[in-house]
Amino acid sequence: MTDLELILQTIMNSLIASSFTAIFAVGLVLIFGIMQIVNFAHGALYMVGAYATWYLYAEVGLPFFASIVIATFLTVVIGLLMERALFRPMRGNLFGGLIVSVGMMFVLEVLVVYLFGQGLMKNMTPYFKESWHAFGIESVTISHSRLFVFAIAAFILVAFWLFMSRTRIGWAMRACAQNPEAAALQGIGIGKISMLAMVISAAMAGMGGAVMSPLVRITPQMGHPVLVTAFIVMIVGGMGSIEGALIAAVVYSFFHTFVTTYIGGEIATILGLALMLLVLIVKPTGIMGARESV
Amino acid sequence: MKANITRRKFMAATGGVAAGLTAFGATPSKLFADEKTVKIGFLAALTGDAAGWGLPGLYGVEIWAEQINAAGGLDMGGEKYKVEIISYDDEFDAVKATVGAKKLLFEDEVSIVLMLGITPVQAVKDFMTRNKMLTTTLVPTDISEDAPYLFAPVEVHPFYNVTAVDYIARNMPHIKTAAIATQNDELGLSSLATYRAAFEVAGIEIIEENLFGFEVTDFAPVVSKLIAANPDVITWDTAYPDYVNLLTEQAYLQGYKGQFVNCTLDQYEHIMSKTSKEFLEGFLWQFPDLDDPIMQGGGTHFDNAAAFYQTYNERYPGAWTAVSWEYAAALEMWRSAVSQAGTFDPPAVAEALRSLSPVPHAFGDAEWWGEDFFGVNSAALGKWPVVQMQNGKAVIVEMGDVRAWCDQHLDVLKKHFIELGVPLAG
Amino acid sequence: MFSRTHRNIAGLAVVLAVVCVLPFILRPYQLDFLIFMFINIILVVSYRFIAITGEFSLAHAVIMGVGAYASALLAALPISPWISMPLGGVAAAAIAYILSFPLFRMKGFYFLIGSFAAAEAIRLCWVQFIDPFGGFRGLRRIPVLEIDLGELLYIDLGAPVPYYFFALIVGLICLFVMYRIEHSRYGFVFHAVHHKDTLAQSVGVDVRRFRTIAFVTGGFFAGIAGAMVAHYVTAINPGLFGLKQMLFVLVWVLVGGMGHFAGPIIGVTVLSIIDESLRGLDELRPGFYGLVLIATVLFLPEGLVSLPRKVLQWSTWLWNRGGGTLVKRE
Repeated sequence: MTDLELILQTIMNSLIASSFTAIFAVGLVLIFGIMQIVNFAHGALYMVGAYATWYLYAEVGLPFFASIVIATFLTVVIGLLMERALFRPMRGNLFGGLIVSVGMMFVLEVLVVYLFGQGLMKNMTPYFKESWHAFGIESVTISHSRLFVFAIAAFILVAFWLFMSRTRIGWAMRACAQNPEAAALQGIGIGKISMLAMVISAAMAGMGGAVMSPLVRITPQMGHPVLVTAFIVMIVGGMGSIEGALIAAVVYSFFHTFVTTYIGGEIATILGLALMLLVLIVKPTGIMGARESV
Repeated sequence: MKANITRRKFMAATGGVAAGLTAFGATPSKLFADEKTVKIGFLAALTGDAAGWGLPGLYGVEIWAEQINAAGGLDMGGEKYKVEIISYDDEFDAVKATVGAKKLLFEDEVSIVLMLGITPVQAVKDFMTRNKMLTTTLVPTDISEDAPYLFAPVEVHPFYNVTAVDYIARNMPHIKTAAIATQNDELGLSSLATYRAAFEVAGIEIIEENLFGFEVTDFAPVVSKLIAANPDVITWDTAYPDYVNLLTEQAYLQGYKGQFVNCTLDQYEHIMSKTSKEFLEGFLWQFPDLDDPIMQGGGTHFDNAAAFYQTYNERYPGAWTAVSWEYAAALEMWRSAVSQAGTFDPPAVAEALRSLSPVPHAFGDAEWWGEDFFGVNSAALGKWPVVQMQNGKAVIVEMGDVRAWCDQHLDVLKKHFIELGVPLAG
Repeated sequence: MFSRTHRNIAGLAVVLAVVCVLPFILRPYQLDFLIFMFINIILVVSYRFIAITGEFSLAHAVIMGVGAYASALLAALPISPWISMPLGGVAAAAIAYILSFPLFRMKGFYFLIGSFAAAEAIRLCWVQFIDPFGGFRGLRRIPVLEIDLGELLYIDLGAPVPYYFFALIVGLICLFVMYRIEHSRYGFVFHAVHHKDTLAQSVGVDVRRFRTIAFVTGGFFAGIAGAMVAHYVTAINPGLFGLKQMLFVLVWVLVGGMGHFAGPIIGVTVLSIIDESLRGLDELRPGFYGLVLIATVLFLPEGLVSLPRKVLQWSTWLWNRGGGTLVKRE
């Protein structure tokens, strides 16, 4: 493998990482924007999506795509229950929301240990077994599973963007995220909006977990590192800014992947934190944030 | 997945909370009121990130205890004793381990404490020494001169890793260069030092190293860089079994064709289904299947190994790991020492354990070793299997002599530990 | 006012009497449990001390770790632990002071995350620099405290009963000092800084200065708590001061109730006892703990400290409903 090929391979790796980080972080940012709640259980929803896909596909033997759909549906149901029972009473209460979501995270993590035991990661054979040689170069390879993650993530993000920019309810949601009080005065029903936001957010986390399940370690704690990454992305992009989160997800993923490849994985994490601190000090509102929340 | 009601599930469904509530206030009710009972303490992580290293081990020792109890109990001085396992979740936390150690010793009056190793052991070892409590760890670098009751009776990680590299040096002369990737923690670093020493002795040059952190979800970049260096052999060192799984799959997907040598290859059927039989052919590692013919008697010391393996897999499908049997193997050795000592008294059993020669290790006869490395002979070092993937099955290709290698190349081993800054003893 | 103070003092006296008798009834491991609870009480009260000025930090556990590491390293020099412990507190305060420069440029959620990042960077340094911090494995053989007056008196504070009283005394001193500060002229400014940020600024209060003072003072007491852990457990490692510990601090304070000095104390006490009581559940324990958290926040939004008032409210409501008159719930 030549130097150029390694660079190409790393760019490909970065693109895949960006797409996944983006859908995960956008879901988190959406909930924060609408409800002012930092959902610590977002990583747990991702975990539930992965577990459900593993169970349905590898254990029960359902078709892969059906498993993904059911897993996503399951996380949406859990998300809706959380919204109704926990987040709605806590709306605007940053720390109340934090505690109930931490509590929910504990509950969901214990639930999967209770149902499936704790041992090695839950294994599944990928549905896609082939690899793609990018641009016909033999040594630059991306597995089809990863391309599938990229395709699904891209599809979700484009659909989400169309929904937010082309539909009435999408506008209402944006208005809500920008200024909940004003939106309420305009007669926009915050209850319906926050339910919808939760559906979208949970679906993003759940489907993220579902498509990533053949690629990652499926363990009860699998959501923690992803959540920390999403926090960094959220800060760098500016709290509550969806466009910012998208850009930050790409920037951070490229940064992290390149440093991991050329210097080392542990250094990449430390530099990632340093990057976040730098952004916080120089421009505390993030690259796309205009207003200071809370 | 088969629905199976286990003790803990039953407890949780019924009186678990009530039973739990009494644990703090009152002495737990005696399970075997009319029978003689010996208690065994299990102090490791049952929840949180490190639970994967503790909970499967608890499942294992519970099965071990059941097998003993079903056979009438543990024999000591001509009398049968029922075995009771008392667990305390240390959450891999020094403070929780401190509290748990006091509970197990003073409240439950256990006769031995089984621990995972590293930080919780560091926190309680002085306390255990003061109270003359027999304690076992799975991490030999925990043992030290000032802890005479702390043993590493089963795992001699990472020293046994030298045997597979030694096997390569003798049987695969075409291998000249190596690349290493592992996670940056105590296990990874001490193993890295060992592999560096083993490769140096074998005359193999290390051309690429990559240390990654725990938060890695995507192993593609780590593997890309390793493969780009074009090594003859790749090792994931002592990366956690889950990581090994994903790293190996990535190497397959990115077109690696060379040799592997590694500490573990758990769930290799799964890895094979993700890659291919041809790809894994020849993979070298250190952990045989417990139902391997060599493990059924014939110089090894783990009673009913195959039955244990089978029961475990039936009851906890998919939960089997290396630690599933290691805590139980430590208890097997403890049982030998108890029958020799004729008492459960921990210091006396510790003395009997230390006087065992040969030490009945699960992989065959061993001796207590470590004086020149840790300053005390408390790690059972002897033979360790080199396992190779042959035609889709794990086969023990030889029983490597870890002790002979370590005695011969101790200076090289020490040099690399010191170079990486890994503490030699706890 | 008069009678309330009296009632409080009487209540405190009863609590103190019980606490002093406990070591002679309880078993060693339960004493250990209480010792760590006392240390955690110092930790959470010092956390509230910072939080009343309006900013929630996620660096507190690491600041505590700074105290632990500093005291352990100084004691290895060797310096007597009696001196290294307060110096640990000073070191924690110093690090808090340095951190305050970048951190107090941020507000609200940015402060929260910024403090997390800064703390995590410090924690990763402990992991990375094996010399002198011991890496992942941390430090061991940290000396225990001793009272050695030659022939007259020798007390080994490594044993549970003496350390219990030591932790109790240190804890009471720390609480007393923080209570006095909060109820002094300074303390009123702290509250003002929290509730009426802009107003306080407009009347010439240097908001940032007061926040820094609170952050550094709180850091000092967190450092003391850390040193107390270090010299009792005799081993520390970076894992003790991670995000998990920090989340627990936050949960204890908020579930207990921020609005009252006693809130965090009640939070730690109740939640620790619940957590320990669930031991029999093994790996299912965090789930039940999670349910307790959720229930508390949903039904007692002002924290456990408001429970007596709430119970009164609920019973009045029930009473009135029983009497046939519907009273609107608050």
